[in-house]
Amino acid sequence: MTLLTAQVMLDVLHQGAFGALAAWGFGVLFNFDGRSLIWCSALGALALGIRTFALAGGWSLEAASFAAALAAGAVVALTSPQRGEGVDVVALAGCIPMVPGAFFGKAILGLFAVTAPAPAHPQEMAIFAIVAMTRVILTLGAIGAGLAIPTQMTRHRGF
Amino acid sequence: MAVAADPVVLRHRDLEKIANVALKVGRVLMECGARVSVVREGMRLAAKGLGANVVGERVGYASLTLTVGAGEETITRMIDVGPHGVNYRLDVAVRRYATQLARDGGAPQEVNETIDSLTRETPRYPLWMVAPATGLACAAFGRLLGVDGPAFLPILVAGGVGQWIRAKLHARRTNPCLIAAVIAFIAGAIGGFGARAAGSGSAETALIASTLLLVPGVPATNAQTDIMEGFPTVGSARAVSVAMIMVFATIGIWGAEAVLGMLP
Repeated sequence: MTLLTAQVMLDVLHQGAFGALAAWGFGVLFNFDGRSLIWCSALGALALGIRTFALAGGWSLEAASFAAALAAGAVVALTSPQRGEGVDVVALAGCIPMVPGAFFGKAILGLFAVTAPAPAHPQEMAIFAIVAMTRVILTLGAIGAGLAIPTQMTRHRGF
Repeated sequence: MAVAADPVVLRHRDLEKIANVALKVGRVLMECGARVSVVREGMRLAAKGLGANVVGERVGYASLTLTVGAGEETITRMIDVGPHGVNYRLDVAVRRYATQLARDGGAPQEVNETIDSLTRETPRYPLWMVAPATGLACAAFGRLLGVDGPAFLPILVAGGVGQWIRAKLHARRTNPCLIAAVIAFIAGAIGGFGARAAGSGSAETALIASTLLLVPGVPATNAQTDIMEGFPTVGSARAVSVAMIMVFATIGIWGAEAVLGMLP
């Protein structure tokens, strides 16, 4: 399969490793215990790995984020009976590195630039800001839907 | 001649205690970052364990209302909800306790004390560990966004300093939007300046990555889940608060870019 090139695999490893690291850091911030930190790091690696692989296959960021969140949510939903309460939060933390906060910042900064007294290219800046904001909304929606679907299908109440 | 106590009034007093304790369970869960369905379930389990039925509940962003009943009698009580955060271990401890309470039963006073004790004694990581871990998360986020090697350490330091100051401001009960603007400015300026000084070719992205500790990822996804699960009021309130935090964070980023001469 042409998708499985060495470069793609390196990218997947790179993004997976830093996704795990980011999820671990946010896990500490969210006061996860040691075992849950391992789980959320693993889910971060899984989610970022899948998203990178899907992006390499030509998927959009939104579709790739949905697939990654769905996989993380499914792993949690399938293993939740063994791991008890609050597992939904672990899946969510694993997906935090995919939240497009930087896009949101760029969108707002783009809007600031458009409203400057004499913007150089107002139409281009406005389109840039709108595109960035649209991507934020759609990507967040994709992550939320991907996480929610397995939980809703298994009717796991979080207790 | 002694006046016999009114059994209806007495029962109402019992129900009031049950409602207040169940609301306390809901408040802790809400403040720990639980979604609305979990908060409702927590209150329901607590009320059930104490011998009452939940007749109805209203979960708002800043307050909770609960009506509990036993037989023909009902009582409605309300409680304020404090600042929303994320505290996984306390959240799990309270969920577990609510489940146990529904199974084994208990008395309101005892439950009240247990919730207080869980809130006080559930372990938290010390700030000297949380701050570097948050910095590391920002630096890893930076790598995911494509920053180069020299920018990694400056982002780590900037994110760590940002988290340290955020914790101090939070302890002083500073407004969350103001915290977002201040931390975005400080962390962004440190990260952007540090990355540039380290010879990074991605100082602008490093500046933004240094502020990513502010991205309210849990409330953002909870907002959507709440709406999906049939609670659009809280979901919308969460979404608006997320947007406000991000707008203030962007003002801080804009300030840091202006100071470092990075504005387009």
